[in-house]
Amino acid sequence: MLLNRPSIKKVLLCACLSASVSAFASEHSVTTKYGEVKVNDDVKRIVTLSEDALDSAIALGVKPLGAIATRGGDSVAEYIQERTSGVNMVGTSRQNNLEAIAAQRPDLILASAYLPQDQYNILSKIAPTVVPISPGMVSDSWISVAKVYAQALNKSDQMDEILSDIKDRENALKEVITNRLSKNERSATLARWMPQGPIVMSSQIFSTDVLAATGFIINDAGVIKEGRPHSSPLSLENLTKVDSAWLFLATLNSEGKDALEAAKTSPSFSRLNVVKEDKVIAVNGQLWTSAAGPLAAHAILDDIQTVFDQKIK
Amino acid sequence: MISWFHIPPAQRPLFSLFVPALLVLALCCFCSLLFGAGGLSLQASFQTLLGNGSADDQFTVFHLRANRTLVGLFVGLTLGIAGALMQAVARNPLAEPGLLGVSAGSSFAVAITLVLGASTATLTVGIAQLGALIGCICVLSVARMQGQHNDPIRLVLAGAALSSLLLAVTSLLLLFDQRAADEIRFWVTGSVAGRDTNTLFSLLPSMLIAGLCILYAAKPLASLALGERVAIGLGHKPQRIRAVVIVAVALLVGGATAIAGPVAFIGLVVPFAARALVGPDIRRTLWLCLPLGPIIVIAADVVSRLVAQPAEMPLGVLTAIIGAPVLLLIVRSRRMPTL
Repeated sequence: MLLNRPSIKKVLLCACLSASVSAFASEHSVTTKYGEVKVNDDVKRIVTLSEDALDSAIALGVKPLGAIATRGGDSVAEYIQERTSGVNMVGTSRQNNLEAIAAQRPDLILASAYLPQDQYNILSKIAPTVVPISPGMVSDSWISVAKVYAQALNKSDQMDEILSDIKDRENALKEVITNRLSKNERSATLARWMPQGPIVMSSQIFSTDVLAATGFIINDAGVIKEGRPHSSPLSLENLTKVDSAWLFLATLNSEGKDALEAAKTSPSFSRLNVVKEDKVIAVNGQLWTSAAGPLAAHAILDDIQTVFDQKIK
Repeated sequence: MISWFHIPPAQRPLFSLFVPALLVLALCCFCSLLFGAGGLSLQASFQTLLGNGSADDQFTVFHLRANRTLVGLFVGLTLGIAGALMQAVARNPLAEPGLLGVSAGSSFAVAITLVLGASTATLTVGIAQLGALIGCICVLSVARMQGQHNDPIRLVLAGAALSSLLLAVTSLLLLFDQRAADEIRFWVTGSVAGRDTNTLFSLLPSMLIAGLCILYAAKPLASLALGERVAIGLGHKPQRIRAVVIVAVALLVGGATAIAGPVAFIGLVVPFAARALVGPDIRRTLWLCLPLGPIIVIAADVVSRLVAQPAEMPLGVLTAIIGAPVLLLIVRSRRMPTL
């Protein structure tokens, strides 16, 4: 019976805890998916491992040392490129390069809400790692995630301001759009075009949230399984389901115009009313189907403003 | 009619099987016009066929479904024939266009084009066909380098190695270019939906050439089945026959891949079924492959529309489900040529 003998481990743990408290008096705690994480108030070396983390950090005026490439690309998404010069690529959306991350000697890692536990265990040995608790595939989940990143960077007040600016801008657009268009004229679908059939994006993803906030009514054709960001490629026989008043056509590359032209060669596509009425908007999929965050919201609002100026006014 | 089963396959009259097969094919085509993944009911489809459908229904039946039926016909025809030729040349029931690096060559060519910046939607047919040809020429040169024993197995092994190599390089290319990976994902599984039937017309000349090659090679191929020496003794040149057949296969498989993407196992299943029905003589087998190929492709396509509504299951998945058991059956039942 060794009950009353303090183990070496316990002694060490207490020593460590007291040491850390005294060494970093100015730190704050962030509630994450993997428990409370202590972060230094004044972090200098940050690595972001998701597109929304990069967006939030840059929006808050913090340039990370390392970030990951956008899905389907080899650098960050186009909309944010000019603000990220000098940021090193430390992975893709599919895979983090642990050595490259460690080489940055970060004092904070902002990871994706979907980071698995085993990855977290490794990353958290490199630096405090913040994995936001995401409400999942529901409207405006990007806002709560952005707030967690802001809290980690100790800039919550600043983020609240940024978010309320976005709200104001959304409401202003919503007012002019709802004044101009009746309810039927505001239905919109976001899809990616494939020769075999379109992939319909959920009404719960980031860009459709923003689109809905400006008065559009998102039609996802009721073909998306619960919690999935998009449908499988629909049968061409079901194409009429995406025939809304507006069709936002996302492409993963910048050649959106080419993709639109290519789609128009398909008789199934060109016979849609939305195509005949020239209300198909080619948008950049890096922004509309991969990105999230305050800067992405502004970029999408820019796109919507352009649509309003060119096609609604 | 019942007496078929008591006659050995090689002695059954060909037309007594060919005609029923054509009837089954007609039935498959009819079903292909009636069933779909859309909201069009069976009754509405039938009414549309009789000429009482709305514009949308007519488009669905007479454009979407009719086109994919046509493409299915073409793909089944070309892959079935190509498989039969392949197996006759390699004297190996497992020789399949996919195995000889033909489909892999096509995929590789497409991957390169995508990485170079084209998009699937703007992909030209010629590229897939060219890739298939290059794959075939590689195999052909390996066949020329055969050792003293002229062992047909070498050809298959060479093809398998080439396939693996090309697929590996394709994967590597796609690893470097995620955009292409996303686009090609839908291309590499194979499908007869939403394909451009105009492509069929542009493929006609090459199909004509393939047909001439087959007419030239069918008889010598049959004698080649009796062995190299017998064929030489009968005045045929085995190397030339092989070359002609491989060109035909390249054109057929390249055409099929260009229009539908790679569809697995058709080249294995169709000749296998044909041989089971009419025996191993290539001249008889080829005749029966004509209706059997489209039957299997169109039937698989109809099923693919019904199992994943409102989406569709990729055709390649279904043909693999049909083909894999057949592959196991062949391996288990036949004594494979020993190495």
